Amino acid sequence: MNDPYKVLGVPESATDAEVKKAYLELARKYHPDNYHDNPLADLAQEKMKEINAAYEEVNKLRGSSRGGGSRSTASYGGYSGSYGYGYGGGGSAQQSGSSVLQQVRMSINAGDLSRAEALLTNYSDHNAEWNFLKGAVCYRRGWLDEAKRYYETAAQMDPGNQEYRQALEFMNGASRSAYSPRGGFGTELCGNSSLCQQLCCTYLLCNGCGAGFWGLRCL
Amino acid sequence: MFGYVRPPLDQLPPEEQERFRRAYCGLCHTLRCRCGLPARFILNYDFTFLAILLSGGEEPETRCARCVASPLKKRAFCGGNPALDLAADESVILAYWQARDGVEDHGFLKGLRYRAASRALWGSYRKAAAARPEFDRVTREQLRRLSELEQTKSPSLDKPADAFAQLLSAAADEAADSSLRRILHQMLYHLGRWVYLMDAADDLKEDAAAGNYNPLIYRYGLTDGAWTEESRASFTQTVDHSIRLLATAYELWDFGCWTPILEHTIYAGLFQVGKAVLSGTYRAGRTGQKKDRNVEETT
Repeated sequence: MNDPYKVLGVPESATDAEVKKAYLELARKYHPDNYHDNPLADLAQEKMKEINAAYEEVNKLRGSSRGGGSRSTASYGGYSGSYGYGYGGGGSAQQSGSSVLQQVRMSINAGDLSRAEALLTNYSDHNAEWNFLKGAVCYRRGWLDEAKRYYETAAQMDPGNQEYRQALEFMNGASRSAYSPRGGFGTELCGNSSLCQQLCCTYLLCNGCGAGFWGLRCL
Repeated sequence: MFGYVRPPLDQLPPEEQERFRRAYCGLCHTLRCRCGLPARFILNYDFTFLAILLSGGEEPETRCARCVASPLKKRAFCGGNPALDLAADESVILAYWQARDGVEDHGFLKGLRYRAASRALWGSYRKAAAARPEFDRVTREQLRRLSELEQTKSPSLDKPADAFAQLLSAAADEAADSSLRRILHQMLYHLGRWVYLMDAADDLKEDAAAGNYNPLIYRYGLTDGAWTEESRASFTQTVDHSIRLLATAYELWDFGCWTPILEHTIYAGLFQVGKAVLSGTYRAGRTGQKKDRNVEETT
C-alpha cells in the first residue's frame, strides 16, 4: 500500500485535526455525488477506497502509538457509498414499464450506449420513461443540453416521478453542487471584471522581445 | 476556434508563469524540429495547454537555447519528449485543416489568407499526418461532419459541439496508460465542447448580422444576436456543466508539477474567459489585436 500520509497529502507531523481536515477535503472531492452518472465513476470509487484506507491506517498508527484505545475517527461509511448509475442496476433499481426499457437501463449501466440508443430508436411509445432514458444516454455521451431537455419532458409528462425530478434537479444545480478547491464554481460567479479584462489583454510571454516574436506570428 | 483556453497567468506565482513559458517555448522548438519552420507560426496557448495535458504529469528536462524570439540570451525550455512530439503533430494537423476549412468557407478574396496559411503549412502537415494517420483521419471526418451540420443549419447545440469535441478527444488516443487515456478523453471532450460553444457565443452578434450559421441562433431563437436572460442562463448552465465534467476527470489523475497551472485554468481561467465572452468584452478587450485573432484563425 502507498504511504497513507502521501495519499492524504499531509506530512507525518500533521496534527490529528489537520489529518481529518485533509481527509474530509478529499472525501468531498471524490464523493459519489460529485461523480453522479459520470463515465469515470469507477476511477473515483477507487480513489475513495484508497483515501478511506489511508485514513484508517493513519488512525490505527496513531492510536497504537499512543497506547491503543479505539478512536472514534474511523472513515465515513457514507462516503464510500454508491457510485452506481441508478438506471436499474443496483438493489434499489427502478422498475421499468416495459421489458425493452428495462433492457435499455441495463445497457446504460453496462456502458453500452449504442445498444441503448438502438433500443430506444425502435421503441415507438415515447412516454415519460422513454424520454428519461433518452436523456440518460445523452448525458453519458456528454450531450448535456439535449439530456436536460429530455429530462424536462419526462418530468413534465410524469410530475410525480421522483427519479425524473431528481435527474432534472441535478442538471439545474450542477454548478452549485460542483466541487471546487476555491469555493465558487461557475461562469456567472466570476465577478472580478478587471481581472477578466486583464486576462483578455494578450499576455506576451516573451516579454523581453515580444515585439519581434509577435511580429513573426502576424506573418 | 483557438484562443479561449489560457491559464490566468496574472494569478499564478512567477515560478508557475515561468514553467508555462518553458512549455510554450518547448512546443515552439518541437514544432520547428519535427515539422519545419512554418509550423512554429501556429504556436498558441491552446496547443501549449494540450501539450501539458498530454504530458500526464511528467516534467520534461529543461534545455537552453537561443531562438528567433530570444536571439541574444539563451532561454530555458522544455526539451523534447513524446508528449510534446504528439502535441506538435496534432497541433499542425488541426491548424492545417482549420485553414483548409477557411478556404472552403470564404470567397476567393477573403479565402486568400486561409489559402496562404494552408499552403505554408502543407509541408509541415504532410510530416505530421504521416506520423499520426489516425488523428488526421478523425480530424478530417469530424470537420466534414461539422460542415454538414452547418450547411443543414442544425438547431442542436450538442451535435456540432460533439463533432469538435470528438476531434479534440481523439488527441488522447495515444496515451499509454489506459486510465490516463480515459481521463484525457473525457477532459478533452468537454474542453472541446466548451471551446466550440464559446466560439459560437463569441461570434453570435457577427453571425446574426451577416446571416451566417450559428447554432445559438437556432437553438435559442436569437435572430437579432442578443442574449435574453433565459437563453443566457441556459447556455451558462450547459457550458458550466462541461467544465464540471472536465474538472471531475482532471481530479482523477496526478498531473504533478503542472497541477497549479491546470487547476487555475480549469477552476478560474475558463470561467473568466466565458464571462468575458458572454458580456461581449472578450473581443472588445482585444481591440487593436483583431488582426492577431484573424491570424490565429488562419493558423
